[in-house]
Amino acid sequence: MTIHQKPHTQDNLEDGKRQFSVVGKSVRRTDTFEKVTGLGKYSGDIELPGLLYGKMKRSDIAHALIKNIDVSKALALKGVKAVLTHRDVPRILHYGSPHPRSASCTRDQYILDDRVRYWGEGVAAVAAESEEIAEEALRLIHVEYEPLPAVFTVADALKPEAPLIHDNGLDKNNVMPPVVIRRGDVEKGFAEADLILENEYVLGRPVPGYMEPNVCACQWDGNGKLTIWSSTQTAFMVRGILAEVLGVPYNKVRVIVDHMGGGFGAKQDLFQHEFLCALLARQTGRPVRMEFTRKETFLGGRTRHSGKIRLKQGFKADGTITARHARIVLDGGAYGSHSPGVTTVGTSALTSLYRCENVDLEGRAIYTNTPIAGAFRGYGVVQTYFALDLQMDEAAERLGIDPAELRLRNAVRTGDLAPSDHPVVGHGLEACIRRGLDEVDWKAARAATAAQPGGVKRRGWGIGCEMHGSSAYPGIKEQGNAIVKMNEDGTVTLLTGTAGLGTGAHTALSQIVAEEIGIPFSAVQVVTGDTDIVPWDIGAFASHTTYMGGRAAQIAAAEVRRQVLEQAAPLLEAAPEKLAIREGIIHVEGANRSISLKEVVSPKRGMPAAQIVGVGTYSPTKSYSFAAHFAEVEVDTETGEVAVLQVVPVHDLGKVIHPIAAAGQIEGGIQQGIGHTLSEDYVIDLTNGRSLNPSFVDYKMPLSMDMPPIRTIILEAAPDPGGPFGAKGVGEDPIIAIGPAITNAIYDAIGIRFRHYPITPEQVLNALRAKQKEAA
Amino acid sequence: MKRLVSMTVNGEEIELAIPPYRTLLDVLRNEGRLTGTKKGCDVGDCGACTVIMDGSPVNSCLVLGIEAEGATIETIEGQHAGPDLPHLIQEKFMDHGGAQCGFCTPGIIMMTKALLKENPNPTESEVRFAIAGNICRCTGYAKIVDAVLAAAEDLRKGRTL
Ligand code: FES
Ligand code: FES
Repeated sequence: MTIHQKPHTQDNLEDGKRQFSVVGKSVRRTDTFEKVTGLGKYSGDIELPGLLYGKMKRSDIAHALIKNIDVSKALALKGVKAVLTHRDVPRILHYGSPHPRSASCTRDQYILDDRVRYWGEGVAAVAAESEEIAEEALRLIHVEYEPLPAVFTVADALKPEAPLIHDNGLDKNNVMPPVVIRRGDVEKGFAEADLILENEYVLGRPVPGYMEPNVCACQWDGNGKLTIWSSTQTAFMVRGILAEVLGVPYNKVRVIVDHMGGGFGAKQDLFQHEFLCALLARQTGRPVRMEFTRKETFLGGRTRHSGKIRLKQGFKADGTITARHARIVLDGGAYGSHSPGVTTVGTSALTSLYRCENVDLEGRAIYTNTPIAGAFRGYGVVQTYFALDLQMDEAAERLGIDPAELRLRNAVRTGDLAPSDHPVVGHGLEACIRRGLDEVDWKAARAATAAQPGGVKRRGWGIGCEMHGSSAYPGIKEQGNAIVKMNEDGTVTLLTGTAGLGTGAHTALSQIVAEEIGIPFSAVQVVTGDTDIVPWDIGAFASHTTYMGGRAAQIAAAEVRRQVLEQAAPLLEAAPEKLAIREGIIHVEGANRSISLKEVVSPKRGMPAAQIVGVGTYSPTKSYSFAAHFAEVEVDTETGEVAVLQVVPVHDLGKVIHPIAAAGQIEGGIQQGIGHTLSEDYVIDLTNGRSLNPSFVDYKMPLSMDMPPIRTIILEAAPDPGGPFGAKGVGEDPIIAIGPAITNAIYDAIGIRFRHYPITPEQVLNALRAKQKEAA
Repeated sequence: MKRLVSMTVNGEEIELAIPPYRTLLDVLRNEGRLTGTKKGCDVGDCGACTVIMDGSPVNSCLVLGIEAEGATIETIEGQHAGPDLPHLIQEKFMDHGGAQCGFCTPGIIMMTKALLKENPNPTESEVRFAIAGNICRCTGYAKIVDAVLAAAEDLRKGRTL
């Protein structure tokens, strides 16, 4: 891992040339001792006296009306305490993922409906004295279905005779009105082009594969207040929607998330079991836990949107892009969930990365009777940049320009309009490409692959690029909040609503607070994950946790610092502006006088000197992080297997707060991206909508032996004035650039352009055979 | 019908009344109140439930509780010496960023302990082979492998497991 830290040069960054004492250092993470010792409590670990076990009955048909559900046998089973069907639960239409005031999500779900729209949808729930009894009870529930015609592909869902999955007043099975973006004059652009390329790209259906299956536990107290421990990225969203659907005020729902075993975006949604668990607990008067089996995380979880992209671009002989035309159709699955957001973000991403003044883009999401597609790291951009960056490679070859050079010529630059309609800050993409070219010695590497003699194993190098926004603005107007409290001994307590899904964000926020006040990292304690205690937060997603929550924490910490200095000034006989805090000692700048922070704030005559509290609120617009990935692959032409030999990811993060945590995000994103590109696809039986591989054996993710060496390089090329100390997001970026890098490397190795993912050994072999036949 | 089973868990002999069909994983988590061992799949595919049973690593979701009668079990909770006193392997996972969400971590640490007991001097590929059955979806494994190799290096310098 290499970190290139250089002093910031932009004068709009308040911290122009400061030296950092905590930020930029890989301090020991605040949550890590509990994780490595097994002492940390995840939502499924909470011990509640009198606990009942909840389980969900799932449909074994993809599209049907429920004519009748007979639960009498289940209810009669000893140890069964409650059974709920659609007849027993509030019938309130709700958003799958209730981002407030946002158009990202659709309102099309009930807790339980009298109709099922995909194979595996929940139709009933039971609570029993043990998991085994609950499972037995599920078998005793008899559901009578009246089958409806079903569609399992977008193509079928768009046919005139297709069944309507939701009656939302739109054209056949459209989740929302199309996302349309037009700038400039595309026709003129194509007319000026020396080369026009038009291709179709086909996207597979990967799943997040978080290790902790969805789980929650619910308990009501005597005053009618619900406490729910849930594995969610959006605790306050869960609180809001639960309260609304259950008909209780917000202050009677308390959501607790301590440790969380991954989410990768998908755990932004509200799942059926979260409502049902609360209702079962209310009905039985006992705490209830509902935990998905691994199979259920596939059936009832969320997938990335599969689909098709038709992309057409015009190029001048010098590589200038004259026009870009794209039609994106995504499979939303049975419910809208994040389809509007994913489609918007993915479609608008095509306005940028590589400059083009004339664009005509249209994105749509279509309902089908397949599992729900939701939010997943890379949120639509994985899909559209896969198409864009593959076509760039093809254009480079046709134009006789080196593929990296073509990207450099077109790379988005400072002041260009970003997909969010904001000016891009800095030349981050260019910096990433150039640094990577040096690191891998690109010219020599490509010359070596071009010169390799024919043989069974063929190597290739490829490049992929991306940019991704921290925060979901302008789709959602977000907000991060923090409270920083000074304690009487000079230590500090940080309260943040930001969820900790495993990224190390709480540590980064604590570092920011320590840095801002001028105290050691060890003097900060962070309190998280309890909606009754911490300030409101929109949730952990959109690569915004450090960017937005961190900035809120910085603002709160600055206020604490101001109040401390105000207290210290008379003691030091100096104006507050003349004071600086370093390592918990307050110095008079230029004079030899100092006092410890502890002394300033500690009790005098039994009372603290002052109640020192800072509150920070931050509503960001947007900043963009950039990356260029360079991958070397080896294709076995006898087996069709593709091995990734090494990856060099170069990321511009503006300012790195915790290098090891940042690099960990990059390496983990690459792991998931390698999976998407080469092996991961959640397969649906197109005759009946049943999932064919809902297990870790049949859904193949890259494991320890599959992972290549990764040489991570982090740049601080383009700090963002909106982020804490210039920092930008990192969570989503790495999963976007790796797919094109690998696919382009495969072309370099065997001269075959794949325009889909995943690229399986069987497809590689077939393509090689077809190529041989053609040659013969 | 519950059955009485006695086993030694983290050095302590315990007796538990358990249903005969319950897995060791569920017994540890429920009756044993040791929730550090995680359930990622319950069918032997992910390694999150790895514990050391009579000296060998096992997927505790594939062992019945009653099969552990008389056995010696080591779980993640028994590794550190006290607050702020991590086990050598735990210390390396903390320092090298080997745990992100941490859900795979207890299983991988127990697998690492079993590996280093057998082979205190593993190569990188031996480390990768040893944890091939432990799924981690967060880290890309790089920092996990770093942590294991760092622990092995400290073993060679005289520290013990
Ligand atoms: S829980 Fe035992 S192997 Fe996954
Ligand atoms: S750290 Fe999350 S699965 Fe390994």
